[in-house]
Amino acid sequence: MTEVSSPNSSSTPLQTILGEFRNISPETTKAVIFKEDGEILACNEGDIAKDRAKNLAAAFDEIANHSEVIGGVENLTIQGVNSQINVITTNGRYLATVSSRMADDKRVKALTFVVLPTIIKLMDQTEPSEPENEPTDPPNSEAEKEKETTKPPEEPKHTEQPKHTEHLSNPHRMLSEQNFPKPPVNQFMVEKIAGLLVASDIVRVDADIVAKWVDLYGDREISQVNVETLEGRSVRCKFRPVREADSKAKGIIQIPERILQTLRLVEGKLVIVKPVIPAEWEEKR
Amino acid sequence: MSSKSSPNQTETSLTNVAVISSSDADDPAFASLGASLVEIRKMKGVLGYIIRGNSSAAFDLAEGDKITQFAFLSYQLCESCLEIAKQLSVATIESALVEGKNLKVLFVNVGENKISVFMEKNIDHSGILKRVLI
Repeated sequence: MTEVSSPNSSSTPLQTILGEFRNISPETTKAVIFKEDGEILACNEGDIAKDRAKNLAAAFDEIANHSEVIGGVENLTIQGVNSQINVITTNGRYLATVSSRMADDKRVKALTFVVLPTIIKLMDQTEPSEPENEPTDPPNSEAEKEKETTKPPEEPKHTEQPKHTEHLSNPHRMLSEQNFPKPPVNQFMVEKIAGLLVASDIVRVDADIVAKWVDLYGDREISQVNVETLEGRSVRCKFRPVREADSKAKGIIQIPERILQTLRLVEGKLVIVKPVIPAEWEEKR
Repeated sequence: MSSKSSPNQTETSLTNVAVISSSDADDPAFASLGASLVEIRKMKGVLGYIIRGNSSAAFDLAEGDKITQFAFLSYQLCESCLEIAKQLSVATIESALVEGKNLKVLFVNVGENKISVFMEKNIDHSGILKRVLI
């Protein structure tokens, strides 16, 4: 009997994202995320046979097992007469998509090779810390209860610390020291920037995204970003928001020639950009 | 460059190309594809190729000591792609591309002939695919 595996509830965000695939790229007819043992984490086409997913994983692994000579497998694209299959693996999970060959190649690749792997990585980063964010059990000891009752209701839990008042007067700092957010990962399309006034070591990032970083980290200034290509090459460099005149270019990162050469990039390629969190901030986490 | 042959096979070495074929092999498609691949092999960044037909095979690879590894990968790529396509209900495979950290491999299925072209990652594989399919 064929065992059918449905996405479990813990993978709901992935399921939701895969569900959106059809809206973003209607030509992507099938998308499934599964584990090596065939467990389906998310699928945009109802249920899928578990043994089918298992066979997929095994077939991909067979290629990976023989791929040392090319430096392992980063991704696999299979083209049929009318369809195209993309398969990648990230953190022990596999993602396979089937799309029409008429589909916008850039869009399908961005979804398959950038968006979903990034989301999976982010989910992996956040999952272990979830229990810490969950509401704590009611205090057991009398002392703890007393501490709780003497605390003003609107104040956060860390009121007993000496630095507490300073935190309250500076909510951004309180956020960064007590519940320091992980650096957000953004995907951008590369645009070459040139000119006499263009610094060769500074990239320009979508101003909206920079504004989000400011919201996230408050008065702590982020001065550098990490730009990573889909091939894994990366550089750390200074950044500025895209100038106002160019601000209509959403989802764009403007990169000077020198950095493009370092990354072996050309215009139109996709990159992953993360703000660089200074080490001293990390120490305070 | 090394290559193997069995008693009923003939082995020809044309400069860098090693050909293994049955004595009765006379496949014009194989010969035509082989000629295209010889030209493709001359392109900068192309490290070599393997072509397998029903009764013949030929290869030309820059890194002679890795022929076995390239051959295994070529074979496995063909088998696994067929399996993946079957599982995802894609009927016929025309080509496949597997990208590693260092190199990429273009697999092309032309009738009975299975071709693998090994190249550096910055090479335009779609151009090579067109040349193979011409």
